[in-house]
Amino acid sequence: MIQTDKILDAKGLACPMPIVRTKKAMKELEPGQVIEVQATDKGSLADMKAWAKSSGNQYLGTSEEGDVLKHYLRKADQLEEKEEVSFPHTVTNAELQEQMDRDDVIVLDVREPAEYAFGHIEGAVSIPLGELENRAQELDAEKEVIVICRTGNRSDFAAKQLAEKGFGRVKNAVEGMSQWNGITEQNNT
Amino acid sequence: MAGKTAIIASNGTLFDAYKVYNIATAAAASDHEVAIFFTFEGLNLINKEAYGQLPLPEGKEQIAEGFAKGNVPAIPELVEMAQELDVKFIGCQMTMDLFGLEKEAFVDGIDVGGAVTFLEFAKDADVTLTF
Repeated sequence: MIQTDKILDAKGLACPMPIVRTKKAMKELEPGQVIEVQATDKGSLADMKAWAKSSGNQYLGTSEEGDVLKHYLRKADQLEEKEEVSFPHTVTNAELQEQMDRDDVIVLDVREPAEYAFGHIEGAVSIPLGELENRAQELDAEKEVIVICRTGNRSDFAAKQLAEKGFGRVKNAVEGMSQWNGITEQNNT
Repeated sequence: MAGKTAIIASNGTLFDAYKVYNIATAAAASDHEVAIFFTFEGLNLINKEAYGQLPLPEGKEQIAEGFAKGNVPAIPELVEMAQELDVKFIGCQMTMDLFGLEKEAFVDGIDVGGAVTFLEFAKDADVTLTF
């Protein structure tokens, strides 16, 4: 079970209703929130991907349970597309790749659970940005924390938060998962 | 708007209605600006008396069962959905005159216009379809 902000039941509906309903439901979401769309229309798999692409939203992935397809989409967030990040300590993905296996390094993935579920760096710890305030103590402040999200933006906020909480060695992986070419693992069932 | 879709509906069976409204609602849900020009038998698709009981094409009557099983929405439902998504309906004045029909015979919210009204909309459309 992947945690989302909203679940839309479009089971039993034929094309194009799953898309029409998704479009409506998306209106009620805040930017950056994630929806799970349950559908039995097999065509919805290709349609969801195409729709997300044309509407600028993010298609995260689909898991199958029996006859039900569960599609995960994240509402576009304009703020994430701007390129400025202000946390001074950054690493590229190539540097991250070199350093991530060290024992004193934690890779912290601050994307939403559904984004993490459909592909993350092996061993990365998942704490969504919105929960970091309350869950930062789960991390060892003695270690170096390299924070990653999709595009380097949420991780910028997260890095600042951690620094304020007394984490001494924090870095933002600015390129983010969208440009990650290394191995990923999934846990989407 | 992500794009613009212009559709001509000129046939009046249930199949035609699904083709027209499925594409129209899908396009509108994908943020397209959509207009449908209803002409000749296509006017049945927005005719209040007719659109709830459109005929199947001749010889295809056995498909009725498939429609019932397939959970496809009824045409009036799709029309409502399309209008909610701001799909623009244009009734063809010339055919309405020919058939002796007034604007009141059709679902609410339609525009009535001639060929040029549609062409004006369609001239810079990204997708143009005829059914």
